Amino acid sequence: MNWLVEVAIRLVEALFVVGAAGSALVILLTTIEDLETLFGSDESDGKPTTPDAS
Amino acid sequence: MPPEQPGSLPARNASSDRLRIVVATSVMLTFISYWRAAAIVLNDLASSAFYACGIAEQAIGKSAPWLIVGVMLFSFAVRAVYVESCSMFVRGGVYRVVKEALGGTLAKISVSALMFDYILTGPISGVSAGQYIAGLINDVSATADAHGWIPQALHSWFHGTPHVNVNATSVLFALAVTVYYWWENTKGIQESSEKALRVMQITTVMVIILLAWSALTLAKNGYQPVPLPSPDNLKFSDEALGFLKHTFKAQDLAKLFGIFGILIAFGHSVLAMSGEESLAQVNRELAHPKLKNLKRAAIVIAIYSFVFTGLSALLSVMLIPDAVRVPIYKDNLIAGLAMYMYGPQILKLLFRAFVVVVGFLILSGAVNTAIIGSNGVLNRVSEDGVLSEWFRRPHNRFGTTYRIINLVVLLQIFTILASRGNVYWLGEAYAFGVIWSFTFNSLAMLVLRYKYKGERGWKVPPNLRIAGREIPIGLASVFLVLLAVALVNLFTKSIATVAGLSFAAAFFLIFTISERTNRRRHSAAQKEMKEQFQLLQRDTVERAALGIRPGNVLVTVRDYNTLSHLKWALERIDTKEQDIVVMSARISQFGAAAYDLATEQIFSDYEQQLFTKAVSIAESFGKKVSLLLVPARDVWSAIVQTESKLESSAVVAGGSSKMTAQEQAFQMGRAWEASQEPKRQFILQVVHPDRKIDTFHIGPHTPSMKTEDVHLVHRLWLNITREPGLDKVHHHDIVTEALTRFAREYAGRDRQDILRDLRKNSGSRIGTRSIGQQTVEPSLQHISPPQSSEEDGDKGKKKDGPASPPVVGPY
Repeated sequence: MNWLVEVAIRLVEALFVVGAAGSALVILLTTIEDLETLFGSDESDGKPTTPDAS
Repeated sequence: MPPEQPGSLPARNASSDRLRIVVATSVMLTFISYWRAAAIVLNDLASSAFYACGIAEQAIGKSAPWLIVGVMLFSFAVRAVYVESCSMFVRGGVYRVVKEALGGTLAKISVSALMFDYILTGPISGVSAGQYIAGLINDVSATADAHGWIPQALHSWFHGTPHVNVNATSVLFALAVTVYYWWENTKGIQESSEKALRVMQITTVMVIILLAWSALTLAKNGYQPVPLPSPDNLKFSDEALGFLKHTFKAQDLAKLFGIFGILIAFGHSVLAMSGEESLAQVNRELAHPKLKNLKRAAIVIAIYSFVFTGLSALLSVMLIPDAVRVPIYKDNLIAGLAMYMYGPQILKLLFRAFVVVVGFLILSGAVNTAIIGSNGVLNRVSEDGVLSEWFRRPHNRFGTTYRIINLVVLLQIFTILASRGNVYWLGEAYAFGVIWSFTFNSLAMLVLRYKYKGERGWKVPPNLRIAGREIPIGLASVFLVLLAVALVNLFTKSIATVAGLSFAAAFFLIFTISERTNRRRHSAAQKEMKEQFQLLQRDTVERAALGIRPGNVLVTVRDYNTLSHLKWALERIDTKEQDIVVMSARISQFGAAAYDLATEQIFSDYEQQLFTKAVSIAESFGKKVSLLLVPARDVWSAIVQTESKLESSAVVAGGSSKMTAQEQAFQMGRAWEASQEPKRQFILQVVHPDRKIDTFHIGPHTPSMKTEDVHLVHRLWLNITREPGLDKVHHHDIVTEALTRFAREYAGRDRQDILRDLRKNSGSRIGTRSIGQQTVEPSLQHISPPQSSEEDGDKGKKKDGPASPPVVGPY
């Protein structure tokens, strides 16, 4: 039974590691965008810009 | 049938005999800056700094602060998911987003998890505040005792140093705060962004002192290192391993599985980012440019909470000795930090008292947010027919959904009593609701990347496009972390799993049974509504939609049992000359934005009854009225905005059971001041049940002058015109000159003299005149007191009583 738990644990670990790596990327990219937002002017924003084409 | 009126659309559609109602679909809001929005969210999010690290350290040991820092860093990514969900511009809020993405069953499960989150937010915040207060009382008492300031009698009565039972005091305090906010919510007191901003300003002062003083202490006293969260350093308590402790050797688990140990520890620290979801609640009210301001608010929130929660967690382990940190200060860690700063004891005690005051303000605010949030959620699902309409019946006096508020507060009181003041227990359970709410929301967002075809303001980066298909790498990554943590928590938090699953299952069952029972009744009510009413949905309020002329009269209605003011207006107004608009505002409180009503739900069964009654009254007078329903966050702001858009000359309102006519006028005046240009002045007439009328001018207006003042102006004019070269001076020139000089003196050194003279001559009427619990601010003094008021000594201009003139013509 313990081996089944161990497999499940390894699976969750993998999810976590992959997710954490991707999340680090999210944090990095949004931080760059945040800096632009904080120091950018109000003119460049206002309306939704990315209508979903899919 | 009464004859057709010029310029007015009849309330009843002649061809189908259905009542025609214009329903505005855009919520009337007073917009707030991103600073205020950030303050509202931080009131919830930053409150977790007061208990998160203490709970985490009890579960995973001394490395907890690193995990808290990790969670706060990860909250930057979670924030991005909420920004994307807010930027989707979907009517119906996040609830509809989840429902459309995941279907009704998963939406119900998601709402059940969120309800568990909200129900726990109140108790954990209240109990935690109680812990800080009780801890301070005991420490002050111990210090006083050490100085011999405690009387012997008191000493012997307590068999030693006087003290309070910390957990019992926390329970009593949490109960008191919960009952207080229960009553406030039953009365329908609105949450104010101004208050949230003030609380955050005070909190910021505390955070700055805390960080600066800690830096000085580190330099002077040195520090103890915080061990990195390596498998060797993670010391799990028995409770922290939950169901797994029966499967594996407890302390070997982390070493055995490496990353899994960190994952367990991460799961025990995740409640540090609770409150992030409040971002979705304030989004609707953000000022233009909305998306940019939403992102700015999100940045402020993320940085602030990272600095406050993350650094205070690290500092507490660095500065508070191990011997006392967990045994004594586990439930009031920031208070403990204050006591281990460098400096004299009295200064440390004073700072600790400041920490407790801030803790009290921010944590008790979170209790209120929890009640408002859960009320909003249950209202929303009730509108969907998931919960019986019985719950939504408004309070007879206050018009609030008191049955839902009662249910929420009863559950919170039960939780507080069951916890017996144990913050750790509450924190463990709370984390269940927090993590599953986040997980469901991110899953919904992920599914919607493929299902939702509408506008989307922003997307969580990065996104890869392969063979024309978008792969949302960032969003999927955040979801994977949340899912992994949520799954691990299921096995390592036995208390939370049992309590959370039982609670969520109970709510899910109630929702499912209630929905099935209601289905027939709900669809019958919908059918009846469609047969009786013709809803003309308009994005904004405009005269053309109602077919009315300028100078109309706006009659506000709320309770169908108190429509005497509508009768009063109908008696006096010739509707051939002047149109009457009967307006009702559908209020959604702060905290309900994430569970906003869908367009078709703005007009509910209650509004059906209200407008049916209003039309039958109008028809009994043989007169026609136009019907208007507007969704709003603040009723006063909604009335002022509607009045302006419809170019109404007057607003007629019924007397309120909650406030006096003066208070109603004060609120209206404040909303008028806050409204955007162009502004219109108008008359507010408050009609009391006994037909007594109070009339107010809203906006700047010519003041009523006493006879002796008119004589004084005239005497001055006579004297001045006798002077050479001034024979062409008019009375108004005298007044202009006098006012200009007065303004100059008021702005200069004579200000205090002027105020003293005004106080002496005018008594309590000016400057400090109190309206209920509010003091009239100088900027709002244009709101005239009732012209019929005795204290005015202005009886000649009395407008109340049966002989009062009808509201006619533009003013």
